[in-house]
Amino acid sequence: MPGSRVLLVDDETIFTKNMAKLLKFRGYEVTAVNSGDAAIRELEQNHFDVTVLDLKMPGMDGITTLKEIKKLGLFTETLILTGHGSIDSALEAMKLGAYDYLTKPCEIDELVAKIEAAWEKKEGKS
Amino acid sequence: MLFQKSVAGSAPDPGQASGPAAERKARYARLFRKFVLLTMLCSLVPLLLVGWGINLHYTQFAKERMLNFFQTQVEYHRKIIEVFFNEHASKLQLVAQTHTREFLTQQVNLQRVFELLNRDVDSITDLGVIDHQGRHLAYVGPYDLLSRNYAKEFWFKEVTEKGIYISDMFMGFRKEPHFIIAVLHAGGEQNWILRATINTEVFRSLVENVRIGKTGQVYLLNAEGVFQTSPRVSGAIMEKSTYPMEPYHQGLQVRTLEGLIDAQGKERPRQIACQAWLPNPRWLLVVKQDYAEAFDDVNYANLWTLVFLHVSALSILIVVVLIARYMINVIRHRDEEAERLNEQLMQAGKLASIGELSAGVAHEINNPLAIILTERQLLLDAGKHLSPSSPEFQEQFEDSMNQIDLQVQRCKRITQNLLRFSRRTESLIETVDLNAFIQEVVELMDREARSSGVKFFTELDPELPPLLSDPSQLQQVFLNLITNAIDAHDGKPYGSVRITTLADPTRQQVQVTVADTGSGIRPEHLNRIFDPFFTTKAVGKGTGLGLSICYSIIKRLGGSIAVQSERGKGTQFSIGLPFTPPQELRESLAEHSAHTQPA
Repeated sequence: MPGSRVLLVDDETIFTKNMAKLLKFRGYEVTAVNSGDAAIRELEQNHFDVTVLDLKMPGMDGITTLKEIKKLGLFTETLILTGHGSIDSALEAMKLGAYDYLTKPCEIDELVAKIEAAWEKKEGKS
Repeated sequence: MLFQKSVAGSAPDPGQASGPAAERKARYARLFRKFVLLTMLCSLVPLLLVGWGINLHYTQFAKERMLNFFQTQVEYHRKIIEVFFNEHASKLQLVAQTHTREFLTQQVNLQRVFELLNRDVDSITDLGVIDHQGRHLAYVGPYDLLSRNYAKEFWFKEVTEKGIYISDMFMGFRKEPHFIIAVLHAGGEQNWILRATINTEVFRSLVENVRIGKTGQVYLLNAEGVFQTSPRVSGAIMEKSTYPMEPYHQGLQVRTLEGLIDAQGKERPRQIACQAWLPNPRWLLVVKQDYAEAFDDVNYANLWTLVFLHVSALSILIVVVLIARYMINVIRHRDEEAERLNEQLMQAGKLASIGELSAGVAHEINNPLAIILTERQLLLDAGKHLSPSSPEFQEQFEDSMNQIDLQVQRCKRITQNLLRFSRRTESLIETVDLNAFIQEVVELMDREARSSGVKFFTELDPELPPLLSDPSQLQQVFLNLITNAIDAHDGKPYGSVRITTLADPTRQQVQVTVADTGSGIRPEHLNRIFDPFFTTKAVGKGTGLGLSICYSIIKRLGGSIAVQSERGKGTQFSIGLPFTPPQELRESLAEHSAHTQPA
């Protein structure tokens, strides 16, 4: 839902910058970070309804970040974004509590649909 | 802990794709010869020992039997001759002692005695009575000897001194070989002698008629070595023999005679002789035969033993050659099978690497594609809400176009790298700039490494000479090592992979190290890391072929590979690559290339 707070986590800075711009244009409040550490710090300080998390990142990767989110009890729905297209990694992430996954490259409408679905789940509407 | 496996490229194992067909053929030929030689040795040595032992035993037995036969012959004839002499000497002594000179000088009486003495065998030719002055008082016999005086004859003196005398063969008045037995009737002035001439024919028949094979003979010699009977071969009675005389001895003596010259001056072949002295007269009884004939049985047995051994050896050789040929064929088939499996293993490893690489490349390409897609969305969004002529739209348009161009260039670089890699599928020896080559691999793997938090550092020797090597195989080695180095950082947020090259002109090789700061290898795994299908990665993440293939390739290229690892700190692989690969590999690839050239 427009107005939802979205955290974008990907080590590709151009990608996060563009995606943030697109989501903001669609009414979301977006914060973009480029590492797992930065994402945890951001989540600890601010509330985000949905976190879009890249799996493959230097330092703390997507899976580790997800584990940390769950460990710290940070209340956000997580969407996994992967350039590998590896179903195994995505399934592992979903087992760890991720809501859904998308493979790169993805259309903005597809991402928005997933964010909406995740938000609704978080709000207990589905 | 340091573990090192180093191999010389010139000594490939049978399972590896090794030298050219000719070298392989020569290797099997060497193996065949060794097998035949060793098996023949193992089979023939016992056979020869047994054959030699049996033959030796039989030869000794046969020789002893032959010598016994000789000794029996000598003993037998000596007894016959001694009996002959004793009998005649005794008879004459009996006559001389029991009859008076007056009686015996009566012609009728002497004739009667002569007849009685010759009643059984005509062994006495004549009989005479001689007075102490050597005058023939009476005589019975075929010669006219009554007027003869023997006072000066050698035998007369001997019998006068000794009382009985048996002479050697001599010619005497009758001018033919004969010998006498004379006995003395002692009576001072009345001494007289009874003398008998022995029938030479009868006596000689005792020894001359003996037949021993073709060359065997029995004869008598006096103390001076003069024949007392005629030998069958070479020589005649009363002639001097060439037999080497020895002083008087008791009993029998066996002698082997070499280089004897016969009466005709010819050298006789090696002979065996058995001899015995007679006490009176001092004659030597000799039984003699050519050595070869005497031991003909032994020689015959030896000949058959040799024939048997040769036939046995030939049979063994045939069987051994057939078995060896069969074994070599089995080994050759196994080698070919191992080679095929090795090639399949290499192929499987290559496919696995390509699989891993393609996952990395997909990620690498998907990222710029994702950016391009977002740029497109931005443009679409801008098109919906802004006028195309507005400066904001123009700015967005320019930014997006530039970014799309950048990302397309990025994709192009990735695909070009990938293409360069995929083109290197054929094994062939060519000049390789190892530094540039490593740089290419690093570039290809860089994004994959960076996304795992791993940074590459390279220290490449600028003086490195170009190598003659197989780029497709080297690519496989570095791809595997670098992939492993990146994977070793699983569970570590950051790390590095340091790749160095250094020329070693004294050893004519390049030292390459790939060192990571990953989790290291457990000491108990160090001995197994080059084994095929050994992996510590999670199921589905690793095939266990990477390092095994690296090992095989480096070995094939004539190099060496060693690993040093510390748990928790990292692992370093050190590779020695020769400036030029082994000659046999070059020939092998050239041969393979010739076979695969299109007609």
